[in-house]
Amino acid sequence: MSRTRIVITGMGAVTGFGFEWPSLWQRMLKGEHCVRPWQPEELSDDSFPVRYAAPVDMQQLPTELAEHPAWHTDLERRTRFGWIAASQAVRDSGLNASALQHAAVLTASGAPQHMLADMRLSLNGDAAPSWQTLFAQRAALHHEGTFRQSNDRLARVIADDFGCCGPVLNISSACAGAAQAIGNALYLLRRGEVQVAVAGGADSVLNLDTLGALYLLGAASSEQRWGADLCRPFDRDRSGLVAGEGGGFLVLETLEHALARGATPYAELLGYGSSLDAYRVTAPEPNGRGAILAMRAALADAQLAPTQIDLVNAHGTSTPLNDATETLAIKQVFAEQQHYQRLRVCANKSQFGHLIAAAGAPELICSALSCRDDRIPPTVNLQHPGEDCDLDYCANQAVDQPVHYALSNSFGFGGLNTALVVGKYVEARL
Amino acid sequence: MSPATSAIAISGAGCVLATGWGSAALWQAAQQAQSGISALDSPLLHSRKIPTYGQISAATHQRSLADLAPNLRRYSTPAVVWGVSALQQALNEAQLEPANSPLRFGLYCSQGGYTHPALDAYHELLRECRQAHGLDAVQLSRRVLRDNALNPFLVLTSLSNGLPGVASLNLQLQGECNAFMQGVSGNLAALRTACEALQAGRVDVALVLAAGSELDPLALAKLAHGGAISHNGNAHYQPFDANAQGAIGGDGAVALVLRRQADLPAGPHVTLDALDGHADFARLPLPQAPDVLWCSSRAQPNDDRALCASLRRIAPKQISASQGLTGCLSGAPSLVDVLLARRSLEAQCVPAICGLEQPVANDLPLARQRSTPAVLRRAAVLNRDSNGFSACYHLTYHPLSA
Repeated sequence: MSRTRIVITGMGAVTGFGFEWPSLWQRMLKGEHCVRPWQPEELSDDSFPVRYAAPVDMQQLPTELAEHPAWHTDLERRTRFGWIAASQAVRDSGLNASALQHAAVLTASGAPQHMLADMRLSLNGDAAPSWQTLFAQRAALHHEGTFRQSNDRLARVIADDFGCCGPVLNISSACAGAAQAIGNALYLLRRGEVQVAVAGGADSVLNLDTLGALYLLGAASSEQRWGADLCRPFDRDRSGLVAGEGGGFLVLETLEHALARGATPYAELLGYGSSLDAYRVTAPEPNGRGAILAMRAALADAQLAPTQIDLVNAHGTSTPLNDATETLAIKQVFAEQQHYQRLRVCANKSQFGHLIAAAGAPELICSALSCRDDRIPPTVNLQHPGEDCDLDYCANQAVDQPVHYALSNSFGFGGLNTALVVGKYVEARL
Repeated sequence: MSPATSAIAISGAGCVLATGWGSAALWQAAQQAQSGISALDSPLLHSRKIPTYGQISAATHQRSLADLAPNLRRYSTPAVVWGVSALQQALNEAQLEPANSPLRFGLYCSQGGYTHPALDAYHELLRECRQAHGLDAVQLSRRVLRDNALNPFLVLTSLSNGLPGVASLNLQLQGECNAFMQGVSGNLAALRTACEALQAGRVDVALVLAAGSELDPLALAKLAHGGAISHNGNAHYQPFDANAQGAIGGDGAVALVLRRQADLPAGPHVTLDALDGHADFARLPLPQAPDVLWCSSRAQPNDDRALCASLRRIAPKQISASQGLTGCLSGAPSLVDVLLARRSLEAQCVPAICGLEQPVANDLPLARQRSTPAVLRRAAVLNRDSNGFSACYHLTYHPLSA
């Protein structure tokens, strides 16, 4: 019996490039990036060691989005970006309210934003921080701050806004989060639990708390010599991740449901795989074992041979360890007929930064668009590939070539790995 | 039997709760209706408004640490330590060693409160960086980022996916994974995803793990402010009691090992059947006349009376509740009830509701005073989250099934 086909019929992305995916895609194909000088708003002395990021530029907010309730509700940045991206995706899909009534919502949204602000409430003049002081000021605790209630807030606002009464799931898998949300949506749809799912993620680490933590982990680059061209996946001079912020959401439907309402799919979601490294908390297994397992699981789920893949949209964080290990893993997975020599690899993070928990969603959007348009956005700032980075990374210039199938990687701290496979939409799949 | 139609059996369980280390300690406490809730003991917390808590004792924590590789302890919050220990217990009962097994393992986690870095980790720095009208962020930033004034492992212990990360490292798990963070519905999501992976044949063993801790001033203040726990000096958790004073928080972890029943040797099995959830309790599919119902209670008499109206429609033969034993868990609210439902089916016994003295409804079979032997074939678990989400699980006892 043939398997239920799942297609992408709506997309929304909020990144440093703006608030919609068409401009994101156009600017990416031109080889632009949106990394620029940045300092956290909590600090006034320009002392934060991480000097560059890819923030969302609110000056670019289109007039038609200015009245969206996301901006007029007391929410964290990540929740606002995610809500906007989901709204864009739903609008893009053309789904009406009744079709959304039974839809599932699956999200990922990283770390809470108000930890330090809440901690301040424990201070009382010259006295030591205390529970009594904090409790006396409990009404001032940020209602979105600190707890899991805020972690699954994005899922709830989306479900509430669109009246979705299907399963509502919130994933917490670090940088693999959004990809896992999309993968779980694929399973829900295939099983027939729902006909429509809104899946993706949003995150903002551009604050003192979280980007400070990433810096302390040694993950975020504090390098200054490249200026805004700091994010250099697979380059010999890569020095760490460059954080972005924003969100991405996709509307996924069974093909039958999409065709019945006259929708035109952007692409078909074909496979999902996940794995655990079981190696170290902050470093990938040096032989790429976990990444290999995830990619192979996704290919098996998609019922595709490695030689059928045209593009790998790499996790490509611009960290020394990830990019070398991922290259090694890709060469292992695509070893048959030395397919890795013909394979194209791109790293979207070079253009809009690392969206952390949300990263997998806008990157899957780009992979889907590559399949639709037969165009691959470049890996920018790649001047001198590292010695351990010897694949075709589409350096600095978009590549025009047929893309039938693309695989998108997302790997998270803690050794959680995810891969998704997307394909060009064709009416009949053999 | 094809994977798609396999029933899912619970082949192992473990827990670290206020009742102690292990499911035997939990079951003993349940049978004796002996609460694990005790006076709140914390160097940062001295409150007459929240005097008690379902806290993990130092001895239980130490016992749990023994299950975690020494090199991983510095990365692990207490909740992660408990989770790893609960998982090890569950694997022991199931007689499985992932590192030496040809079976394919999947790990499905549900994480509770997001309270790290906890306030006590910043305590000294906050004191140092305070100023007349709050916090000197510049000084705090300088001390943290330049002077490394924080514990260097604090950031790693703050990772929101620490539970699957550390558990997979400790047990060398390399299979598929999922990590949810959403209270009762997170427990449901982890269980459903695990069952689905088994039924689809993607894994042979599904490890479901839930853990959480709220024992932090910020967390408790938020929970009290939101009404999830009482802050009226209440010292006893009294589910379904007419004189109850509200909920009391609790910490802990629960793990289950799930297998396809068809893959297990012949013997008595408890299977997990229907797993349902809904944001609207009125629309949640409810079981009909289970032999025993484990039902969560907020220990607010009016709320419990309203719940009892629904329970009458279910017509359970007996009703019990776990919160009086453990407190209200953020991380594993449903899994602890699933664990107890399984034990009650295996033992053919219904424990009394710990803390219940004066029932809010005399016409319902709320289990009181002592454990009661009973012929039990079907059990159900009914949980409601403080955000309104409800979940329901059905379990069946197969005494002689293969």
